[in-house]
Amino acid sequence: MAKYSWPEKPTLISTPVKRLDGPDKVSGRAKYTYDVNRPGMIYGRMVRSPYPHAKITSIDLSAAEKAPGVKAVLEYRKAGDEVLYQGDPVAAVAADTEERARDAARLVRVRWEPLPHASNETLAMNADANKWSTTQANTRPGPRQETGDLDAGFKQAAHVIEQTYSTHVITHVCLETHGTVCEWDGDKLTAWVTTQAVHQCAQGYAQTLKIPQANVRVITQYMGGGFGSKFAPDSQGIICAQLAKKAGAPVKLMLDRKEEHLDTGNRPSAFAHIKAGVSSDGKLTAFDGQSWGTGGAGATSNFPLPYLYQFPNRRRAHTDVYINAGQQRAMRAPGHPQGCYLTEILMDELADRVKMDPVEFRLKNAPALNPNAQYQKYFVEGARRFGWEKRHPTGDPTRGPIKTGMGVSAHLWGGGGRGSQAHVDINPDGTVVVKCGTQDIGTGTRTIVAIVAAETLGLPVSAVTPQIGDTQYPFSGGSGGSTTAASVMPAIRVVCVDALDKLFEKVAPQLAAAAADLAAEGGKIFVKATPSKSLAWKDACKLLGTEPISVNGQWQDGLSSTGTSGVQFAEVTVDIETGIVRIKRILAIQDCGLIVDKLTAESQVYGGVIAAINFALFEDRILDRVTGQMVNPNMEMYLLAGMSDVPQIEVDLRNMPERGVIGIGEPPTVSTASAIANAVRNATGATIRSLPLHPHKVLAAIEQERAGGTI
Amino acid sequence: MSSKDDLPAFSRRDFLKTAGVGSLATAVTTATDAEAQTQGAGPRVLGPGDVPVTLTVNGRRVPLQIEPRVTLLDALRNRADLTGNKRVCDRGTCGACTMIVDGRTVYSCSTLAIDVQGKQIRTVDGLAQGDRLHPVQQAFCDVDALMCGFCTPGFVVATVALLEKYPNATVEQAKRELDGNICRCGTFVRVFEAAMKAKTMMGGARG
Repeated sequence: MAKYSWPEKPTLISTPVKRLDGPDKVSGRAKYTYDVNRPGMIYGRMVRSPYPHAKITSIDLSAAEKAPGVKAVLEYRKAGDEVLYQGDPVAAVAADTEERARDAARLVRVRWEPLPHASNETLAMNADANKWSTTQANTRPGPRQETGDLDAGFKQAAHVIEQTYSTHVITHVCLETHGTVCEWDGDKLTAWVTTQAVHQCAQGYAQTLKIPQANVRVITQYMGGGFGSKFAPDSQGIICAQLAKKAGAPVKLMLDRKEEHLDTGNRPSAFAHIKAGVSSDGKLTAFDGQSWGTGGAGATSNFPLPYLYQFPNRRRAHTDVYINAGQQRAMRAPGHPQGCYLTEILMDELADRVKMDPVEFRLKNAPALNPNAQYQKYFVEGARRFGWEKRHPTGDPTRGPIKTGMGVSAHLWGGGGRGSQAHVDINPDGTVVVKCGTQDIGTGTRTIVAIVAAETLGLPVSAVTPQIGDTQYPFSGGSGGSTTAASVMPAIRVVCVDALDKLFEKVAPQLAAAAADLAAEGGKIFVKATPSKSLAWKDACKLLGTEPISVNGQWQDGLSSTGTSGVQFAEVTVDIETGIVRIKRILAIQDCGLIVDKLTAESQVYGGVIAAINFALFEDRILDRVTGQMVNPNMEMYLLAGMSDVPQIEVDLRNMPERGVIGIGEPPTVSTASAIANAVRNATGATIRSLPLHPHKVLAAIEQERAGGTI
Repeated sequence: MSSKDDLPAFSRRDFLKTAGVGSLATAVTTATDAEAQTQGAGPRVLGPGDVPVTLTVNGRRVPLQIEPRVTLLDALRNRADLTGNKRVCDRGTCGACTMIVDGRTVYSCSTLAIDVQGKQIRTVDGLAQGDRLHPVQQAFCDVDALMCGFCTPGFVVATVALLEKYPNATVEQAKRELDGNICRCGTFVRVFEAAMKAKTMMGGARG
């Protein structure tokens, strides 16, 4: 392993390196799937269920088929099928212009037999509830866990809190909606897909269309946001390929904003009725939680609970609740923001019971110091940096309607890598091409591939051409679970070390040295003992004659690891007359092992924090309980933060080179919402046990606090 | 035609609360404009089939045959392969489609192509001169004010418009002018940094 280990004194790795594809993205030259225009291309449009639950009586495509410009129509479902949510796909059309495809889709006549629907968790769990499906029950008991002795734990408790906590459903709102451009050449399919997993998509196409995977090429050069929702071709990808086959022309099928909200995934809701005990000296003693949540029509909703802190005696049972809504998909740190919120609010309530400072209370109950658990350090250092000593006890005593408060919260994530393969060519003219079938979902993968190759070969980043986002390149897995960097970087390091060794062998006779005595740095290959004996990179490569050095390789253990920790602090103001929360500042302390590119890694922390501000204060998928329709399937009533809503954010990113690469996409988004909610509690003295912190809920909690307490 | 410049000094969120009143005012203005134009040219009906439409985009004439209902955004993206500006919300909320028409920012997803004939249309595709980026584009790259990059063209155009309108933009002016754009990756902190850096690069006052 030592052969491949990360350099001790890197010149590029861990420094801020500008995103390589920045110029293409800021100039509009970058071609996303949405931007691919093929010769003779036509446009696809899907027809979806307007009902949350119904049976299809008949589908009549004849009028659509005759509409101007229509080139293909298809039934995706058939008469007698049951649709289970608003937006469930039923049929599709393709026409020569987008406008005409929309017109034709409206002419598809579907007759329905509407069925009773269940549109929220509470309604679905009632004894006499409407059934979400004619074949499956509304609830399904999930895993149960029990550790220690619960009764003994509660006996040790000086205080016990019993409350219900919850978080809401949000959707991914990828700015580039899901979709594909599909083009057939005989029996070979090329699909431009906006996806987080090119190879997995190719497999999905092959399996669903029953064609050899060798006949499928998937391309994703640029991708406009996925956040966990873009791993498979999905119905729209398959339909697009089928329309293209029928029409004998390339088809572009991009979903519109409403479809994106309804049918491309969401973060499940989370509810828990929790009973928890704490001893008089501030040690957690017992946790008993019954949780439930909905992942929509037939999907799971589990999440970690209790989160992070150590309850020696605990029991937890989870129930999945099914409702008539689009299915959940992984969303940035699946399960963690929910479990974190439910636990962290409880932690502040327990701290107040034993009259302890929230930081001190957490230090007492967080895991011991470990490479993957830095809480004992981060809480203390963060508190100092944030000015935590200025925090007042629960409830801002200041006169006037604007109350200020501080909150803290912590999180963990796994990350880590495996399985990626890579290829490198060193050409006789000195150019270097690195190929890997991974994809850049906005995190900067293309850039860090070039950084690791350049570092290894002793070249500037600009001397390396990274090629990714295409199934013609060696296999790499989907970009999920914060695993891309930790999977891909080791593979790049391995192939570049091996390729350089081969180049050393070619160069060694010229420098009258042994290959093992050579090194590459600063665009030169030189003898380690006498650096003046050197060859410029280009001259060294000329020795290759006509034959490039080509090396394949893959991820190896020892260059990456798993487990990261983070702690966040928030300060907010709350207007107790309007219920409006404004965030003043946030501090995020985060580690991710070896930082590859400081600049793009920091961007991900900012991004995670801002995503969680949306989760805490703004976004909410609202389903009308009577009609089962989503009330806000757009971007004006589905609220997201704008420039004026974003506070001062301080990112404190810790480099831990000795741990290898781990990954950072997800962890920073986990605990922000909890820190904000605890800050709101600290400001107002009222406990809000459910997200989002919309003004009406803040006001209701303040009212309740005045009327006799929220505790 | 929607114009972001018409908005009062509210944040996007404040604006939404009063959107009922705001859109009413816009509707009245638009109707009056249309009426004036119709009266000048005599009553005539366009469409519903393709009609000739000529746009002036980034200084170049772009002749098109399109249905009158086609938006400026779709006309350029689907018929002229000018795909730099993006379609995201498709109803004038998120700003990814922001273009500059006769010096004012517009949501091109909510602007009909036939309505902007004879006007100077600037898109993100026309800002760089060959490989030489506009200072705003350079600043975005320098401070990493982008991630997936799908909102970026809209933010870049909005920032160019901001600095053309206020070469010495204050923090408040910058935030207000960029409030009509939404990013989902969470680049706001660095977008703001880029706007301030570009201001300095373009000769505006520091700070």
